[in-house]
Amino acid sequence: MEIDRRAFIASLGGTAAVGLMDSEAKADALEHWMEDQLDEQAAAAQGGQEKFPTVAELEAQIDTRNYRRGTGNVFVNTRGNVRKLEPMPKNPTLQDFFRLRFAPANHVLQSATRALKTGMSEEIILACLLHDCAQALMKADHGWWGAQLFEPYIPEKSAFGIRYHQTLRFYADPDAGYEYPDLYYRIFGQDYTPPPHIEATYKMLRNHKWYMEPRLVTVNDLYAFDPNAKVSIEPFTDIIGRHFKQPKEGLGNDNSPSAHMWRTLANPDAPL
Amino acid sequence: MKIAIAVILGGLVLQSGQATNYKGLEIKPVSVERAQNVPLVDCPPTTNSQRGNARAGEEFAVVSLSFKVTPAFKETIVKKPVLTDSTGKVYNTSVAIIDPGSQPEYKCSFPFRVPAGTKVASVQIDTAIIELAALDKK
Repeated sequence: MEIDRRAFIASLGGTAAVGLMDSEAKADALEHWMEDQLDEQAAAAQGGQEKFPTVAELEAQIDTRNYRRGTGNVFVNTRGNVRKLEPMPKNPTLQDFFRLRFAPANHVLQSATRALKTGMSEEIILACLLHDCAQALMKADHGWWGAQLFEPYIPEKSAFGIRYHQTLRFYADPDAGYEYPDLYYRIFGQDYTPPPHIEATYKMLRNHKWYMEPRLVTVNDLYAFDPNAKVSIEPFTDIIGRHFKQPKEGLGNDNSPSAHMWRTLANPDAPL
Repeated sequence: MKIAIAVILGGLVLQSGQATNYKGLEIKPVSVERAQNVPLVDCPPTTNSQRGNARAGEEFAVVSLSFKVTPAFKETIVKKPVLTDSTGKVYNTSVAIIDPGSQPEYKCSFPFRVPAGTKVASVQIDTAIIELAALDKK
């Protein structure tokens, strides 16, 4: 397969971001990128009509892996050994976690950039920036985990957006500009139907005055899978400063209800 | 009489292909096509990898517009296009116009999820209305 070196580097956030990655992380990123390219080529070869797996086919893959799909990114490397993590600073900030645990975070940065450029509220922009960060800790139910992780530090509307984007992503809303994506046929199965608690949550949200908060997170989510997008956290420094209540002791050291989650992210190699 | 009708129809066709100037953006309709599965790519076009799917009984009316940035254009947030069908019903698109002044000229495709067989009439970007009926082969 021919590698477009510039496109690949851009997909990681540019040469500066690549410079912060070790060899293993670069190899992982390259493999991910090549897989994506292959998927796209296969889809194009079939006239854009990719053959998606069924729920049963995805379930049949479970015992072919030595990890579970819901495992957070800091705990597993699906292509080899995990790498030694750089220690967190003494009083870690959100930006420190972005740099040392969530990186490259390209998808959430793209999502927040789109929200910023289309003139959305700062609460929505912040929700977009943080919406998938908890996947470093836990992928399953990541909306709820993410809201819990950030809730002590961010506006209520942003936490609401993070928690419930997980539900609304399964329900197309063309009026709001959200389409059901191929991605979910691919990862959940083409015949997937959301479980009852998600259906019930969706019904609650349809009548909620804050429906548009999580909906706009999903709207930007969909358009944040561009391998060539150049993004950085820099444009969000002021928004983080205004809306993220950074504890002076550092995240994980402040005895907040989610401090233990930050500590786990900071030190996922703790044996117990 | 036949000649008069032909002239009028000719005028309408010409009007459908005419460029509209909106805040220094010259916008011209290019085509109206139908699809079940569409790339979800903002405007000017990006390389976003996601695609959207229509449900049974629906389809995407994909409206392609060309944009030319004139010297009068000043960077601003441009609203998403809104489609109106032949009965006056309106439809939204998921595609946003982002950094419209970043390239001198470009073409964008805007998918609108509509009931299968819907005839389109026009697309509106804020105050700019672009006639499409003559481009719609439905």
